[in-house]
Amino acid sequence: MLNIKVGLIGAFDMLKFKNMAKDRNKTIDAAKEKEIVGEFKINQNAKALHPDFVELKVAKIIDRSAAGAKTFVFESLNGKALPYFRAGQYLSLKLKIGDSFVTRPYSISSAPSEALKGRYEVTVKANPDGFAADWMLNNLKEGDVIESSSPLGNFYFDKYRDKENVVALAGGSGITPFLSMADAIKDGAENFNLTIIFGSRSEDAILFKEELEEITKATNKVKVVHVLSNEEKEGYEHGFITADIIKKYAPSEYSIFICGPEAMYRFAHDEVLKLNIPERLVRRELLGVTHDVSKYGDYPKDSLDKTFKITVKQGPKETVIDAKASESVLVAIERAGIKAPSRCRSGECGWCRSRLISGEYYAPKENEGRRWADIKYNYIHPCSTFPLSDMVLEVPGEY
Amino acid sequence: MAKYDAVVVGSGNSGLIAAIRLQLAGKKTLLIEQHNLPGGCATSFRRGRFEIEPSLHELCDVGSESNPGEIRELFDELGVKVNWVECPDCFRVISKYSDGTPMDVTMPHGEKEFTDKMEYYVPGSRKKMEELFELYNEIKEGTSYTSKCAGHADSNVMKANYPNMLRTGAYTVNQVFKAMKMPQKCQDILSTYWGYLGVDMNHLSFIHYASMMQRYVNKGAYIPAHTSHELATAMVERFRELGGEIWFNCRAEKFLFNGDKLCGVETSMGKVECDMALPNIHPDIVYGKMVPKELVPVREKKKYALRKGNYSARMFTAYFCLDCDYKELGIENYSYFLAGSSDSEKEYKQIMGGVETNEYCIALCINVANPDASPKGTSIVSFTTLGSPVDWDNVSEKDYVALKEKTVDKMLKMFKDKAGVDLSGHIEEVSIASPWTFARYLNVPEGAVYGSEVVGWDNMMPRMMTLALDFPVKGLRPIGAAGPRGDGYSGCMITGNIVAKLAIKDLNEWAKEA
Repeated sequence: MLNIKVGLIGAFDMLKFKNMAKDRNKTIDAAKEKEIVGEFKINQNAKALHPDFVELKVAKIIDRSAAGAKTFVFESLNGKALPYFRAGQYLSLKLKIGDSFVTRPYSISSAPSEALKGRYEVTVKANPDGFAADWMLNNLKEGDVIESSSPLGNFYFDKYRDKENVVALAGGSGITPFLSMADAIKDGAENFNLTIIFGSRSEDAILFKEELEEITKATNKVKVVHVLSNEEKEGYEHGFITADIIKKYAPSEYSIFICGPEAMYRFAHDEVLKLNIPERLVRRELLGVTHDVSKYGDYPKDSLDKTFKITVKQGPKETVIDAKASESVLVAIERAGIKAPSRCRSGECGWCRSRLISGEYYAPKENEGRRWADIKYNYIHPCSTFPLSDMVLEVPGEY
Repeated sequence: MAKYDAVVVGSGNSGLIAAIRLQLAGKKTLLIEQHNLPGGCATSFRRGRFEIEPSLHELCDVGSESNPGEIRELFDELGVKVNWVECPDCFRVISKYSDGTPMDVTMPHGEKEFTDKMEYYVPGSRKKMEELFELYNEIKEGTSYTSKCAGHADSNVMKANYPNMLRTGAYTVNQVFKAMKMPQKCQDILSTYWGYLGVDMNHLSFIHYASMMQRYVNKGAYIPAHTSHELATAMVERFRELGGEIWFNCRAEKFLFNGDKLCGVETSMGKVECDMALPNIHPDIVYGKMVPKELVPVREKKKYALRKGNYSARMFTAYFCLDCDYKELGIENYSYFLAGSSDSEKEYKQIMGGVETNEYCIALCINVANPDASPKGTSIVSFTTLGSPVDWDNVSEKDYVALKEKTVDKMLKMFKDKAGVDLSGHIEEVSIASPWTFARYLNVPEGAVYGSEVVGWDNMMPRMMTLALDFPVKGLRPIGAAGPRGDGYSGCMITGNIVAKLAIKDLNEWAKEA
């Protein structure tokens, strides 16, 4: 028989045990009460860095009409600091357009240090199916206030993963995260060497040409190579960003970061494969790559012109909405004026994760960002899911 | 306004179990969750081609199908289906013995195996280890009994069946080890698990530690095959199947009262009527922000004063996804406990002193237990340490990343120096979660997941014994890591189960009265 004693007399220890409840109550009763404060320093810090949303005032609009773009300079309403970020991160702007609530992800083009002065900049370029981009370019004016997420995303330099030399492949407005990185390198917030290979149509369509020149003058850690697709000109590379051009300008060991329109991704992807560098050293920013669902080989093409009804449940509310087969479930939800969560719009971040109660869908494999259990238990990412039948869907709330 | 019998606020481990238990008893239950995912700590995140487990190292008390533990039995009873994978070994610990000599010890699961291995490392320890396990087993039975009695244990039954538990129950781990004349080297090795409870061995209740360690050694440890997001989602699925309703991205703002009885919850999606609310939220937030001032119980204000805002250490974890098999890097074990010494009190003090003095970390390679945890030819290694307010209360947003990296640098160096493993050249994805991150996603006080420190008057046993007094507001029963069974996945689940049963009893009584 085991007989373990801690104190001299076992019976006293038993009593001590038995009295634990009494002692606890005695201790509590004897204490002096204190008003409970449900606020904590670390939680306040976290909230300041990652608020549910921020309100941004359009302080200035810089016209870049040669490039078909505008830069929106946003400022905080009270002049105070905005959440700090890693150069390369994006904002998910929350726009009310007509009766729709839509989000659009835009890389921040200004330096992180500007956030501490209460400023973020994004650059918006017109594009053929850019319903929100067009709205912003034509309607947003100085003094307007919009809502946005705090800075998000994982497209930034990581000293554990990335080589000290980063070769950035940028196309058109895909230059924006790299401009922020270049600025951050210049002011010391980031420490790596950045070679930007920047594809534009023509010399006068180059976005941020002067800004980039200024940075390369100020620091030898940033270099810029312009590649013009529609123009042959002294001092510029001509054509698309090929493996040969990358090899010509890349240092010995490097990581590759890619940001640009969909066509550029596909081209760059094939070219990067030729370089034979490990997959872990290639990063892509996929923000809001538009989905022309018909281009996927395994998409059931006879569905394309159909329309469906989606029953959207959100908390206590239930709404039946129309949905086109050719548009993502998220677009249908937004068109119907339902405020639902979304951020990256490319299937990756999972913020729009919703439970499919019933219905058939198509989801492009290349944008599959779901968790294992979410696939098993029938959750979808509406931003990269296309309806193939009527659906019943439970969507999360939106703060 | 929608009307429910019960609203569970927060779908953490405690909340999910409670919600299923309530719905299973026929109570119309709404589960609301501030995040867009269920689980609280029990979740996952994606980076590139990886799905990453953020928090669970090893779930205690699952056991095998033939030798089930309380958690497996609870899941079976509730009808929750999870694909379990067994973790090999208890742990490998690379540290120093109290006499300063180097310690590099790997301890297996199984009482006999553990005892044999201890005899190998500490010759002559067998008899003491056998005594210890006998005591552990008695305590395991005893704590299961008290949990079942939910605060109404029969002292005669206790005396007859669990006398050694009663005699050691009021003491700390080190007091009991010392009284048992446990060889010092054994004590050094046995103290390895302290970090799981966030309290050092000079302050942690022996019963609490013994009941946890007994379960790890005897029942082994398990993880879900597809991260703890599988665990949480499987629980949500069961809850739905039973007719339960869950709202994501929905925040509870205030609890509503009719006189002194709870009658609803005000949420970011509108008001919800209910008779009972179970916040899976730290009581300091419940009573500090969500209950009208005049209804905050004096007892809670006194407990708050006594706890002095001590939420134990804050969490810090770094995740590395690698483009090679773990064996290529020389990783042999599932979990490595790396520490400067085996003196837990010293280690804890150094942790609370900040990154400069912190010498403690747990390295974990999930693929050793679960080869399919990441794509073929890849692996995931995570490092967990504890953070201090010295660092994380006052660092500026601008210096935040540098502090994260400083903390990670130290852990990578420890792994390289102590275990000889270097990850560089293989890192494909990285994510670093600081106490701010845990605060952001979980909204736990100070980013600490331990609830309130389980020490002295606020130990597990006294909490269990005063269950009846610790829910002073009618219709409001907080659950979670600050609950009677303390922190950790299994602790929170058992608390959720116990407290949900009390809630069901209340609801049934009120229904009879009406």
